[in-house]
Amino acid sequence: MTSPKAVLDTVLRLTAIALLLRPMGPWFVQPVLLALGAVALISRQWLRRSSLWAAVSLAIAIRIADDWPLADNHIYLLAYWTLALALALRAADAPAVLAATSRWLIGLAFVFAVLWKAAWSPDFLDQRFFRVTLLTDPRFTEVTMLIGGLSAKDLAADRAALAPLPHGAELLDPPVIVEPQRLKAFAAISTWGIVALEAAVAALMFAGSKAAGLRHAALLLFCTVTYAFAPVAGFGWLLLVMGLAQVDPARVWLGRTYVATFLAVLFHSEVPWPGLLLDAIR
Amino acid sequence: MRGRFVPVVLLIAVAIGQIVLVRAFDLTPWKGGGFGMFATLDHAAFRRVDIVVDAPGRSEALEVPPSLEADAARAASLPAPWLLTKLAEAVAARERRHGRAVARVRLTVWRTAFDRATLHAADQPLRTFVYDVP
Repeated sequence: MTSPKAVLDTVLRLTAIALLLRPMGPWFVQPVLLALGAVALISRQWLRRSSLWAAVSLAIAIRIADDWPLADNHIYLLAYWTLALALALRAADAPAVLAATSRWLIGLAFVFAVLWKAAWSPDFLDQRFFRVTLLTDPRFTEVTMLIGGLSAKDLAADRAALAPLPHGAELLDPPVIVEPQRLKAFAAISTWGIVALEAAVAALMFAGSKAAGLRHAALLLFCTVTYAFAPVAGFGWLLLVMGLAQVDPARVWLGRTYVATFLAVLFHSEVPWPGLLLDAIR
Repeated sequence: MRGRFVPVVLLIAVAIGQIVLVRAFDLTPWKGGGFGMFATLDHAAFRRVDIVVDAPGRSEALEVPPSLEADAARAASLPAPWLLTKLAEAVAARERRHGRAVARVRLTVWRTAFDRATLHAADQPLRTFVYDVP
């Protein structure tokens, strides 16, 4: 058994660590965010101070505005989350307020993510998104070769074939894109798997308290699977911190699972495991 | 507690605003805080801006110079009139700084589309914009 305040402190500390792990923003924002993150970790008094998290949220909002519209979505979510921290720390029952806000933020973010994938994008459910992304995005090169079974030579040829000609021109006899069955299967599983998982997380965030176990299981599964491949560890850390804020303090093992998954995402992002595996089996 | 739902309301407001910008001004769904990342191929890697500068005796296509990459990236992500104007003004100012004549700047934002079956890529013009230099 641990206390709600102890869970809250871990949530606050992990949020500060996430800020420090991925410095962001222009010169007039980045040092401020780094300093606030460091102060939060050094001083327990400042860690629980609403004004510190309000300042963090304001600095992130300035970073978004300065770079608008280029900031990634998780930067927006981080701004909302740190504002939620600032507001919750002014409440009499901060952990409960934060848990409720966390469910709303994750639930809504996933609702919009599912709507974009399933309803508003013409090229997701027909699998084009993952088929093209796995072939063209250099961040997925090793995964594509390892899981998709594509050789380096074929991958280079596919990338050349997928490069558009200038000004809308098209070849009369375009080269054939090489897509092994394994790669197509991986794209299909990724397409339907991510939509299903995101929809499950969204639905469970709005479900009643009886669904708490399933809710945590879905979020942890999503983060474990997605951020083993997706190069956006910052988003994974944020979701995990927000999930941790919903943990019943009596379930110590669940809190520890969130912290362990936070560290797993860190290792996924910093250790080039697909490349190492690829080298090992060559 | 008053104000506890402010972050939730902000998330909804920004996400709805993002949908409006996508529909009205072709903002890439990946940007703008609407959680459309990893949902479509319509993103920065598959968008680009062509710049053509015209003047008496001159019509020249320019590469995006490093100093204008941020403006070009914004215009490619959101080819709205105000961001295209900002980019065109920056191009004109740069040409003048280098002592080159400029009377008009033409911008074309392209988006790459991929065939549903073969995946073959083809560029499609998303927006064209003409800026007459005052």
